Amino acid sequence: MDTSPIRKIIHIDMDAFYASIEQRDRPELRGKPVVVGGSPHSRGVVATCSYEARPFGIHSAMASHEAYKRCPQAVFVRGNMQKYREVSKGIMDIFYEITDLVEPLSLDEAYLDVTENKLGYPSATYVAREIKKRIKEKTGLNASAGVSYNKFLAKIASDYDKPDGLTVVTPEKAPAFIRELPIGDFRGVGKSTKEKFLEMGVHTGSDLLSWSEEDLVRIFHKRGHTFYNNSRGIDEREVNPYRERKSMGRETTLPHNISEYEDMLPIVKDLLQQVLSRLQADRIRVKCVVLKVKFYDFKQITRRTTLDDPTDDQEVLLAALGEQLEHIASLGREVRLLGVTTSDFHGAGDAAGGRGKVYKTTRYEQLRLF
Amino acid sequence: MHFTIQRDAFVHSVQHVNKAVSSRTTIPILTGIKIEATNYGVTLTGSDSDISIETFIPASDGEKEYVTIKEEGSIVLQARFFAEIVKKLPGEEIEVAVQDQFATTLRSGSVVFNLNGLDPEEYPRLPQLDEDNHFQMPQNLLKDMVRQTVFAVSTQETRPVLTGVNLEGEESELICTATDSHRLAMRKASVETKTGAMSLSNVVIPGKSLNELNKVLEDSTELVDIIVTESQVLFKFENLLFFSRLLDGKYPVTKNMIPDHAKTELVLRTKELLSSLERALLLSREAKNNVINLKTMNNSEIEVSSVSAEVGKVTEKISCDTMEGEELRISFNGKNIMDALKVIDSETIKIRFTGAMSPFTVQPTDHDQMLHLFSPVRTY
Repeated sequence: MDTSPIRKIIHIDMDAFYASIEQRDRPELRGKPVVVGGSPHSRGVVATCSYEARPFGIHSAMASHEAYKRCPQAVFVRGNMQKYREVSKGIMDIFYEITDLVEPLSLDEAYLDVTENKLGYPSATYVAREIKKRIKEKTGLNASAGVSYNKFLAKIASDYDKPDGLTVVTPEKAPAFIRELPIGDFRGVGKSTKEKFLEMGVHTGSDLLSWSEEDLVRIFHKRGHTFYNNSRGIDEREVNPYRERKSMGRETTLPHNISEYEDMLPIVKDLLQQVLSRLQADRIRVKCVVLKVKFYDFKQITRRTTLDDPTDDQEVLLAALGEQLEHIASLGREVRLLGVTTSDFHGAGDAAGGRGKVYKTTRYEQLRLF
Repeated sequence: MHFTIQRDAFVHSVQHVNKAVSSRTTIPILTGIKIEATNYGVTLTGSDSDISIETFIPASDGEKEYVTIKEEGSIVLQARFFAEIVKKLPGEEIEVAVQDQFATTLRSGSVVFNLNGLDPEEYPRLPQLDEDNHFQMPQNLLKDMVRQTVFAVSTQETRPVLTGVNLEGEESELICTATDSHRLAMRKASVETKTGAMSLSNVVIPGKSLNELNKVLEDSTELVDIIVTESQVLFKFENLLFFSRLLDGKYPVTKNMIPDHAKTELVLRTKELLSSLERALLLSREAKNNVINLKTMNNSEIEVSSVSAEVGKVTEKISCDTMEGEELRISFNGKNIMDALKVIDSETIKIRFTGAMSPFTVQPTDHDQMLHLFSPVRTY
């Protein structure tokens, strides 16, 4: 049993991040359903949509043409990732004003461990309110915050009262909070796991509590432990500020299906170049490259090649991908999506295979006026 | 609608309003220029909903006839084509006539263009501004103030309010401030008000609007009227109205960022420092950080240096007119200082340092209407 004092974890999740930035910068979009993502006439998907679009049933990852069908009056906007990254950087800076224990999950989401914090506030609720206020002042955007004693509960809490919410789950309130929780909201429960649970008659946290750890592990293997613990409000994962990117990938849905090697290769080459330019900027070499293919019937496969030595050489990586692609092409099936992912990162010129970035000896920091 | 108009006056006006038209707009009608003919003259309007420009060509100004109106009316024409076409028309006069279904004919010499117009009723009306908050200044002074501050606005979208220039006005003094949080440019001027006392606070005009305004401003002492409301600013010229949206949000209080003391104070020649920084930046640009080091030496000299790990190193000594206070080594973004030096029209400047890790100021020596503030770069 853990005897250390109760931790104070905050999960911050920006509300409709990309769409809110567009509405902030383009007043004519305010109060309107806004969909950021692929064009409705393409085969792209929705990245985010504004809260005005949600009553129409539009959500992230939905096909854009489906979103258009549900709400033709929505304004469709191509995203500006460069801008979103800048805004995200500003928000992350606020987190570091509060604590160094920040674990970013994406551009618009992070865990903070504020058990000890630079503000010196003992109340995590107060800290969360301060973070929301600073984000609002600096960027004009709303965030939802979840405050609890572990990551699992903090994340669920931030989602509880969106948008602009602040939900606190204390150890006293946790058991009741978890019992009410729909099974689909538990960590690691996706579409198929949810169906399995529903077949088992598990609809809420309360139902989950009646299952033994052995049975859950028998059915769900390793994840069974997580379900068992989470339903009892236990999650020992620490906020990890050093979590490094472990893979880097790009994929694209094709404008129309293709099946010829000659048609697919230039697209794979282009994806590889995009991935490599990011890797080279961080001076990272990779040992593993994966080709992802989704067929016309939405069945997808991935094919992995592991190299003998880490590399950032386009020719070497493209040769490996090309070989995989020939196999795919020989199946003669129509392909709708192609993706390239690299993993197993190594620092440049690092024979020992150490990880991470390589810095120059002299570093500069531009100080701020305010 | 049907009129004939002097080509030169028309082209000039079209080019002005075209500055406000953007091809990437969510409101399709705004890709057009609105033309309205009345017996008094022709009014042109262009807008991207952030900036709107309206120009007026009078039928005649007493000396010269510009327009002959045959029938009043209005039309909206695609700016992309219309602006190019009028520029290239051969005759001295252009005839514009609208028929059914917004079909428009442009005729000049023996050239005839038939264009599909858009419904002018769909074109948004420009705001009618309440003229309570109203002051005047010479065009050339406004042009200077914009030029001397707008370069310092932020280009990052993190804090939108910093992408604009802030106007504060008290009594008859106008203060313009721009900052990207690493450097700050401030310019003061005294202006005339109609009502006596002017009160402006947190009026933030987008940098982009001011850059466009500067293209309209002329180097003359003719007065321009400036009208400020809650969400809009209007610059009123004789035959041109320039509207801009104001930025939302609270502009940071910058007054107390400016240090009131100095530990080291230098006076030196503007051009000499500028060309020295240009040379030093040849190397630090390569290192992509623009970092310049400055060190005070004996006998009123400073050493400016820059290092690039790959390329090499540069050092240069500059003698100052005067040097007072403590010894100093400091690093800063040389590009930022250069931007400021380029807009200082005085021959000598005064630099006041407050320590290696604290902000410093650069000012002209011959007046106190301008101040530039910088935060240094920490090296480790």
